[in-house]
Amino acid sequence: MNASSRLPTVDRSLANDDVIQVSGLSKSYRVYDKPEGIAASISGLFRRKHRTVHALQNIDLSVKRGEFVALLGPNGAGKTTCLKLLSGIITPTSGEARVLGHVPWDRENAYRRRFSLVMGQRNQLWWDLPASESFKLHREIYRIDAGHFDRIRDELVDLLGVRSLLLQPVRDLSLGERMKLELVASLLHEPEVLFLDEPTLGLDVVAQHAVHGFLQHYQSARRVTVMLTTHYMKDVAALCQRVVVVMHGSILYDGSLAAFIDRYSTHKLVTLEMSNAPNPALLARWGSDVEVRGPEILVRVDRTQVASVLPELLEIPSIVDITVEDVPLEEIVASLFRSNDSGNSRTHDGAPA
Amino acid sequence: MTAMQTKSPHSSDGSDYSLRDHFRIWRTMLTISLEERLVYRGDFALGTLLRFLPIVTQVFLWTAVFSAAGRSDIAGYSKNDIVAYYLLAMATRAFSSMPGLAGSIARGIRDGSIKKYLVQPVDYIGFLFAMRVAHKLVYFAVALGPFVLVLFLFRSYFPAIPDVGTIIAFAASLFMAFLIGFFLEATLGMLGFWFLEVASLLFVYMLANYLLSGHMFPLDMLDGIATGLLGISLGDVVKMLPFEYTAYFPAAIWLGKISGPAMYQGLLIEAMWVIVMAAACRLAYDRGSRHWSAVGG
Amino acid sequence: MGRYWRVFATFAVAGMVRDMTFRTNFLIACISSIAWVAMNLSFYVLVFSFTPELGLNTGWSREPFFVFVATGLIINSIVQTFFMPSAEEFSEMVRSGGLDAVLVQPLDAQFLITCHRVDYSSLANGMVGFLLLFWSLLSTKWTPTPVAFLLYPLFVISGVTILYSFIIGLAAATIFLGRNQSLYDFWFYITTFSRYPMEIYSGPWGTPLQTLCTFVLPILVVVNVPARLLARPFLMSDTNLAIWSLLAAGVSFIVSRRVFTHSIDRYRSASS
Repeated sequence: MNASSRLPTVDRSLANDDVIQVSGLSKSYRVYDKPEGIAASISGLFRRKHRTVHALQNIDLSVKRGEFVALLGPNGAGKTTCLKLLSGIITPTSGEARVLGHVPWDRENAYRRRFSLVMGQRNQLWWDLPASESFKLHREIYRIDAGHFDRIRDELVDLLGVRSLLLQPVRDLSLGERMKLELVASLLHEPEVLFLDEPTLGLDVVAQHAVHGFLQHYQSARRVTVMLTTHYMKDVAALCQRVVVVMHGSILYDGSLAAFIDRYSTHKLVTLEMSNAPNPALLARWGSDVEVRGPEILVRVDRTQVASVLPELLEIPSIVDITVEDVPLEEIVASLFRSNDSGNSRTHDGAPA
Repeated sequence: MTAMQTKSPHSSDGSDYSLRDHFRIWRTMLTISLEERLVYRGDFALGTLLRFLPIVTQVFLWTAVFSAAGRSDIAGYSKNDIVAYYLLAMATRAFSSMPGLAGSIARGIRDGSIKKYLVQPVDYIGFLFAMRVAHKLVYFAVALGPFVLVLFLFRSYFPAIPDVGTIIAFAASLFMAFLIGFFLEATLGMLGFWFLEVASLLFVYMLANYLLSGHMFPLDMLDGIATGLLGISLGDVVKMLPFEYTAYFPAAIWLGKISGPAMYQGLLIEAMWVIVMAAACRLAYDRGSRHWSAVGG
Repeated sequence: MGRYWRVFATFAVAGMVRDMTFRTNFLIACISSIAWVAMNLSFYVLVFSFTPELGLNTGWSREPFFVFVATGLIINSIVQTFFMPSAEEFSEMVRSGGLDAVLVQPLDAQFLITCHRVDYSSLANGMVGFLLLFWSLLSTKWTPTPVAFLLYPLFVISGVTILYSFIIGLAAATIFLGRNQSLYDFWFYITTFSRYPMEIYSGPWGTPLQTLCTFVLPILVVVNVPARLLARPFLMSDTNLAIWSLLAAGVSFIVSRRVFTHSIDRYRSASS
């Protein structure tokens, strides 16, 4: 895909600058507390208690052109709110943001033609019709020149290998196929910024892999700026150089994935393959969370201790093989969320992620 | 109704639930649906208020008809009778109409969400019934005020309050109108087990019901119209169907259009329709769910 | 503007493709809506078996009244073909978050929300309306002037505009109320007022109601004005009403658009 020749709308002065600039961005909204019980429900007919939820609090963030950023966080942390603010769907309570030089919630058409928002499992394609019809609509809405449109569509369709699906009604397609076509639709107007909200939600491993592969290729070829929210650490590990962890509406960590692992991964995972039935009690003195999986035994060893523990482990007579790995990303993030949660009693239910 | 609650569609897995268990489940469902409905109060209040609008139009229409017709009696109804009839028919429809019931059953079948009722140890029809009772209770809680107000404003249009026997018969016919309405609509919804699309079928039902229940006009206005068959009038045909019990029949009892033996006979036929529709509903569910799980819904 | 027409054309073609994909449904929908019309007509026939006209000396005897009914059918069928199906999906869009997808597109949100779905089966009623109009005009002794025929489409469009504005207002209510299942009900109930000639609203209760539904919620002018053009000789008072109906169409369109924009702004600031 001839990426360099086709970025005419790009403001060259911005090319090396921050594409997304966010400062002090906050979003609060009121929810209705529904009390339990009939009596309370009836009194709720006349008088309601409202409560303010702070979905995002004082966020600062800047993203450069061509960066691929993952927003991580538990449900209700404010990830989706952040994307909705940046795409101008909702207006903030306070704070500022510029994307490609535009204030998103001014919702200028000039801005809306330059980005795309993909929401996993939310269908933007016409359900009863073939995707090609939805694409045609897209062409009209975004005023894409017909010849150019055909070329872009063909490129995307071939890259994702979905040409044969174009003429089938969307309702007959699998979730993975639908997601691929959603991606095609969202990229037809060649957005410079792409917001992806849980793009692999519900997809099987093969489809996930295909989506990852495509995004990686497309992003590096086009140098588009991508912000992605996700639950799947595989998404992050495969795609993102930069990780932003959001908790309770605030940014907890912002930096490279490697540094993130370095900072929050306190243990290494040591796996021993044994020739006889492993005895977990044997290993308890070297590490925590000992786990037996068939002939293998896993133990989490403090990172600073690994060098001294390994020789001792090798002394165990029945050992066949030994491997040392990083603790999986999921585990690191989960334990980070847990430890932060216990130190923070603020309620955040009701705020969609 | 207890008989219906305790009988599970698959009698083997319902047998370990006592009557009290069922009652508890039922009560919880009732509470939940009450709460759910009260959350959307604005919607609800609006919907309740709106129901009075068409009757206003009807009153004006018939007033105009009487003023131009130059007579005080149309098919046995005075102008006051007609107004009272529409109000009573509307009150009856508040019992017998089941907005969204069939549609939501069919939708549940189509999108597969009905599965959860097939695997949960709870009787689906009983569940729907509880939901509907809750719906009606909330509806009446909100609508009672407007209803009383409207009936009070129009009190001069009504004949003298009938005797206790008639009032009891009226109440019984209203209760059975609710049951007929419920089972009829639930049965229609369950046709979704066999047909993917029941929306058009429901529309035909709505149409038939609108015309044949007496919602549009008093059904005895059709008595004078011959079908050209063995001296049977159009009115006679309509009276063989269950629809008239969902609007016309209770209203006619209150207005004294039907009384004495004819009233008792009518109540008996109405009770028969309740049984027939309940059985049809149960049959449709048993057969339908079996058919549906066999074709791999 | 040209882009809006092209987008609308895409919607129209897509609606056609959809209807032809589900041909049986389409046919059933046509037939059942015609059945609904037939049922109402039979009720009117029954009513006219009891009386020569609606209201003493109003001139609404059977054939003029059927011109009125036909006009109502034509106007409603336009609204239900082009605007109502989309508006009905709106509350679901708000609930499921589908609205978000609309709000990021570089096109007017009101246009996308109210025009994205075209349902051709509702045109069947309009066809019945046209047939009924021809039949009624042929059966009366009264022949409208050519000017009346020329003005008729204009006032039909003005009526459609008023109804469209009501739909927009109702869609906005969806956002204010959080959920609005009664949208279609409300529509149905409000339009029942427009189903009969405005003269029937007379007397101590009727006259205020007539004034309210003409000048505050201009639902009565929707059908009454175009129907009067063809149904019977045009009166001086009808001219005033006609001018008012054009004004009402303009005002209600502007007001409803304001309300809708306001509700979208509210959605943007109240959701997360």
